[in-house]
Amino acid sequence: MGWIFIASLVLALVITHKPLGDYMYRVYTSVKHNVVERFIYRLLGVQADSEMRWAVYARSLLAFSVISLLVLYGLQRLQDKLFLSLGFDPVPDHIAWNTAVSFVTNTNWQAYSGESTMGHLVQMSGLAVQNFVSAAVGMAVAITLVRGFARRGTDTLGNFWVDLVRGTIRILLPIAFVGALVLVAGGLVQNFIGPHEIAGLTGPTNMTGGPVASQEVIKELGTNGGGFYNTNSAHPFENATGWTNWFEIFLILLIPFALPRTFGKMVGQIRQGYAILAVMGVIALFSVTLTNVFELAGDATVPQAIGAALEGKDVRFGVANSATFGAATTLTSTGAVDSFHDSYTPFGGMMTLFNMMLGEVAPGGVGAGLYGMLILAVITVFVAGLMVGRTPEYLGKKIGAREIKLASMYFLVTPILVLVGTALAMGNEAGLAAMLNSGPHGFSEILYAFTSASNNNGSAFGGVTVNTPWYDVALGLCMLFGRFLPIVFVLALAGSLAKQTPVPETAGTLPTHRPQFVGMVVGVTIILVALTFLPALALGPLAEGLLS
Amino acid sequence: MTTQTVETPKSTGRVGGGLLDPQQMVRSLPDALKKLNPVTLWRNPVMLIVEIGAVFTTVLAVLEPSFFAWAIVVWLWLTVVFANLAEAVAEGRGKAQAATLRKAKTDTVARRRSGETVPATQLQQGDVVVVEAGEIIPGDGDVIEGIASVDESAITGESAPVIRESGGDRSAVTGGTKVLSDRIVVQITQKPGESFIDRMIALVEGANRQKTPNEIALNILLAALTIIFLVATITMQPMAIWAKGQNPGIPDSLALTGDGVSGIVLVSLLVCLIPTTIGALLSAIGIAGMDRLVQRNVLAMSGRAVEAAGDVSTLLLDKTGTITLGNRQASEFVPVAGVTEQDLAEAAQLSSLADETPEGRSIVVFAKERYGLRERDVHNAAWVPFTAQTRMSGVDMAPDPGVSGSVGREVRKGAATAVMKWVRDGGGHPTDEVGHIVDGISASGGTPLVVAEKGRVLGVIHLKDVVKSGMRERFDEMRRMGIRTVMITGDNPLTAKAIADEAGVDDFLAEATPEDKLALIKKEQEGGRLVAMTGDGTNDAPALAQSDVGVAMNTGTSAAKEAGNMVDLDSNPTKLIEIVEIGKQLLITRGALTTFSIANDIAKYFAIIPAMFAAVYPGLDTLNIMRLASPQSAILSAVIFNAIIIVALIPLALRGVRYRPSSASKLLSRNLYVYGLGGIVAPFIGIKIIDLLIQFLPGMS
Amino acid sequence: MERLPSWIRQHLAAVRAVIVLTLVTGAIYPLLVTGVAQAVFNHKANGSMTDKGSELIGQKFTDADGNPVKKYFQSRPSAAGDGYDMLSTAASNLGPEDVLDVLPDPNGADDAAKEGKQSLLTQVCARSKAIGELEGVSGARPFCAPDGVGAVLKVFPAIGTPTRAVSVNQACPAQPFVAEFQGVKVECGKPGEDYAAGRTVPVRGNVTDVKVPADAVTASGSGLDPHISVAYAQLQAARVAKERGKPVEAVRKLIADNTTGRALGFMGEPGVNVLMLNLALDKE
Repeated sequence: MGWIFIASLVLALVITHKPLGDYMYRVYTSVKHNVVERFIYRLLGVQADSEMRWAVYARSLLAFSVISLLVLYGLQRLQDKLFLSLGFDPVPDHIAWNTAVSFVTNTNWQAYSGESTMGHLVQMSGLAVQNFVSAAVGMAVAITLVRGFARRGTDTLGNFWVDLVRGTIRILLPIAFVGALVLVAGGLVQNFIGPHEIAGLTGPTNMTGGPVASQEVIKELGTNGGGFYNTNSAHPFENATGWTNWFEIFLILLIPFALPRTFGKMVGQIRQGYAILAVMGVIALFSVTLTNVFELAGDATVPQAIGAALEGKDVRFGVANSATFGAATTLTSTGAVDSFHDSYTPFGGMMTLFNMMLGEVAPGGVGAGLYGMLILAVITVFVAGLMVGRTPEYLGKKIGAREIKLASMYFLVTPILVLVGTALAMGNEAGLAAMLNSGPHGFSEILYAFTSASNNNGSAFGGVTVNTPWYDVALGLCMLFGRFLPIVFVLALAGSLAKQTPVPETAGTLPTHRPQFVGMVVGVTIILVALTFLPALALGPLAEGLLS
Repeated sequence: MTTQTVETPKSTGRVGGGLLDPQQMVRSLPDALKKLNPVTLWRNPVMLIVEIGAVFTTVLAVLEPSFFAWAIVVWLWLTVVFANLAEAVAEGRGKAQAATLRKAKTDTVARRRSGETVPATQLQQGDVVVVEAGEIIPGDGDVIEGIASVDESAITGESAPVIRESGGDRSAVTGGTKVLSDRIVVQITQKPGESFIDRMIALVEGANRQKTPNEIALNILLAALTIIFLVATITMQPMAIWAKGQNPGIPDSLALTGDGVSGIVLVSLLVCLIPTTIGALLSAIGIAGMDRLVQRNVLAMSGRAVEAAGDVSTLLLDKTGTITLGNRQASEFVPVAGVTEQDLAEAAQLSSLADETPEGRSIVVFAKERYGLRERDVHNAAWVPFTAQTRMSGVDMAPDPGVSGSVGREVRKGAATAVMKWVRDGGGHPTDEVGHIVDGISASGGTPLVVAEKGRVLGVIHLKDVVKSGMRERFDEMRRMGIRTVMITGDNPLTAKAIADEAGVDDFLAEATPEDKLALIKKEQEGGRLVAMTGDGTNDAPALAQSDVGVAMNTGTSAAKEAGNMVDLDSNPTKLIEIVEIGKQLLITRGALTTFSIANDIAKYFAIIPAMFAAVYPGLDTLNIMRLASPQSAILSAVIFNAIIIVALIPLALRGVRYRPSSASKLLSRNLYVYGLGGIVAPFIGIKIIDLLIQFLPGMS
Repeated sequence: MERLPSWIRQHLAAVRAVIVLTLVTGAIYPLLVTGVAQAVFNHKANGSMTDKGSELIGQKFTDADGNPVKKYFQSRPSAAGDGYDMLSTAASNLGPEDVLDVLPDPNGADDAAKEGKQSLLTQVCARSKAIGELEGVSGARPFCAPDGVGAVLKVFPAIGTPTRAVSVNQACPAQPFVAEFQGVKVECGKPGEDYAAGRTVPVRGNVTDVKVPADAVTASGSGLDPHISVAYAQLQAARVAKERGKPVEAVRKLIADNTTGRALGFMGEPGVNVLMLNLALDKE
């Protein structure tokens, strides 16, 4: 059944990627603004038709993100003074900072417990808003990089405000609206009920509600992952049935797997889009399969004692579907969980960790996955291009010193954040204090936390106690740098690519749409990541999994 | 058309490489040791890190000596030395060449027109000097007066003298060459110390070698990888300390103690992971690439030009000399009415027997092969050589006294107007028919030579351009490599098309003026294409300067040599194709060794990670898939392999990887298999073999 | 406004953009969804409530002392607060090799040491034993000692021939689950003693027939799992039937009635909704 579950997801994505990819292509290339957008641009006071150079684009994006950060921080700190607080206190400063960074960076790492910390207003008008706009920002950056490949001899890359508004209004909102209602039909709640006691069968029990469905849908669609409740998508009000589970995985993968087609259309060679899609698909399928295999095998002492790796998993999802959710969410920087990775088998847990270490590219977060994958393609093209005896070029654009410098810096950011962060935690009392488990598993928890934050995933090997000032600050910085440094490098790269006049394709040009190239990108991605993280993995999940 | 012997272009450019003399390695050793100086090594950050690591481990080994520690120290130092050796060997080959060149640059004295003598080194641009037979030309310049034969063997290696004369395209002279006859007046065009020979010496020695764009980009990537591995190894330390702390029952091992992974092992891991192989060989590959050009008598003014050659997507080729043999050849005898072909052939042959020009020879051969006329010894004949005034040549035969009835005979062949005039002067009245034939041949792109004897025209020899054999295959190859070939010719479009079709070029530019050429180059470049061309005349200079790879012929003018970014000392325009291949080979070598270097890391991890951590987490011994004897021998084997592979690859770096013109896709597949897959597999085998050998050394268990 | 330098204008645009998009995605959108959801799916949008709680949210069916109410089917273990607390949902987050207990040490330095800590393995074994007793079947599992703790030895030295072996999860004076390990007598675990230096050896034992299903001994992810496996429901059927004086067949029928199959036949796993089953039992 688990394999049919996976196959049906693949089939659904095969059906949807084309219309959605084409639709997104039209959204980002159309010159017309609709009535709502024109109204919004007037409110914003921006010239929607003026094009931006990369630096201006980056500055607008950063300004928007900084303001978002301040507003979200403020909302949390002042929640008791505002309405719909459910009587909760202001969020402590370090948690408020961490959460604000987390949601603005599309990470949705949660150092707090939703049902006991955040009032409905913060959830609905703070966190959920960032779920929309941080995803729209990711898509805008990806589209900008694609424009860099598609455009020739220009230094402008589009208008950030237009990309942001269109991504939100035309793509995310309509799908979210329909998806939210589907989820409500599945049993997710959508109300403004706060915590209260009700009568249970054998005694009183606690109950709480909230505008969950509207937030759940964008949490998955925007590959955000921040749960309304502490147990995230395992919570029955966030994920009520076996089929809402399927639908949520589908929402997670929907846009990331459609964007390559948008990319192909924008650069005028759909097959290039499919090559990228193939790389993502191969890695994703490989990873989902392995995660399923490891979880179903249940190879570790406790799962052996239990008879299945069922600790931390709900009955309605079962082991296989939970493993698929776990792989999908870590492959996409979503960070939602419907089962707890900390209790996975060593190798199953390693897969979720490795998925994130891949840099969230297969298919990765909304937008972020595409630009991450294109960076890897650029690095691959560079090495492969040399091997065919020409200055490497991708989609007609030469990969020279500046391009490779930006791509390298992009590639350096997350491994350095992950490894340095983990090393600091391991050499520091405050860092070590957070471990729930001991031995290699305890180390994996911390490695997972920094990997998740730096790659903007947001899921957790839940055991680690991270709502301490040390972790809130350290992980906040990882999220912040892990999101915006790469974005700046990507935008700079887009700027440098857009300036070039494309080199015409000849028989001497490295073809980047064939299986050969797809295989090479897959190889480069996996080998580079494996080489970077093998020592750390050896001391964590590998040591744990190879115990016997 | 089987009648002509056609010169074959030099072995079709399977770019091979120079041989590597093992002795050269030994000879270069002192230089390699000199390069250990960090001041020179900082240009190569990867190797600098290895050297710092070597120093660090040396200190550790002194403080806490053990056989293992010293073995690692020695091999780390050897790693650096091997890297330096690669560079030194590459440079060494250039140095030998430079020494030869320096001989040509002996202190010469220049004589001004006034008779005043000055040392050659003090000559300024614009100075005018006089050079006479037996003297060395003191500097680069143009002949402004006189004509002389010059021995240029010092720079070209070609012993046959060449003619240099004022005006025209053969006016350039090079300092250091020797005037054999006559006297010329030369205006110096070089700045002091920047003569052609100076630049050549600098080039072949690799002094002030500028990094090329792709090399810079590759260096950035290598630096990034180095940083990643540096971070990965350094951050491993707190993790390792913690892991050890979690298992207090595990005794300290050589690799891992309560203080973490030992410094020697940590450095070993780092050195094994950072891309030392490509880092060590990168500059040698670049120098060797230039060197391969030098061996083909091509001087590239910058490495950038060599790289650009690999990227070229359009080749502009002059028809004459490149696509066709420079010399036209007889392809048909067209007699006038009343003369048989046989008679015409006989007369044509007779007139050419003493004509040693290629055209003349081709007439003799053609007559023999087509009409069965053997070459004869002709006695009592007076040969009339070609002169610029008469513009015809021929033979005057006295009546043979030994043969009765023999009459004297005068035969001429040459340009139509000249021969017709000669016929009229001799009392003949050539008909219009001759004019028609001549026009017809001209119109088809051929060259008509009129043959006449005293008083009457016999017919016309059709001299025709002949495409060199093998050119079509060559151009097909180019097409497969994605290179468009464009033939440039002064011929009319009809002729040009005929030859273009025959040669198999993609396109042609007929009746090309220098302006047309320049426009064509600009047009191609606007489309993002890189253009390569050859040229020799002053009027080629703008096009040479505009093109991305401009190869000037050494016989050309200084303006042309100045404008181009390469000079072909053999003045062989066909070489452009080889230059492109060398450029590609250079890039491929870099890419292949980079891939190899990174692919190697996989095996090294499998050697070192279990060696470090299997003591703490015995399960990790599963990763020791090579079943290496002990942690010590595993680590040492990896380090030794890492060093030896550099030496093993020096010949490849110098020679360049084998290059066969084919499509990018095929090339990539092949190189991926050899250097990607090979790079993964080779170290598994290599490390295992080394382990088998060294496990018996003391301290290895 | 137009006179402001452009870089300030951009930041003003950022402020306005945050405000405008908050209104659109943080007010208009959720309110619209709420409106439609309340109108069309009123029951579900408000939590699928029955008069004894939500059918989607699991409950614990225990008495005031935390003991199972025998006439009810029991839910899975829960890590949410004291069990099934919607205001502190959680999973255990214990790892797959969490096998070493910290034995309660009355002389411990702090509360944590005094209370000790059960490993996931011991929790599983203890639950299995308790359920076995409740349902009248064997609660034995692999890697579990008969007294319901993880069967784990610490062997000294960590490397080489064992000279000492301790069954660390079994506090003295318990009888170790095995007498000997590779010729060395196995000791019981002494609270407060540091066994970190030893090699951890979980002992599988020879249990092959496990009666208590996996979901019965594991905490769910949500801590609110409303379901149990059909196997676990069947295991409880006899006890519930006996308590209620009903034929087992009637109970089994109710189990079948309250079993949710896989959606479309392949999504998720079949489960029995415990609250709905218990409500159905009460109704009869």
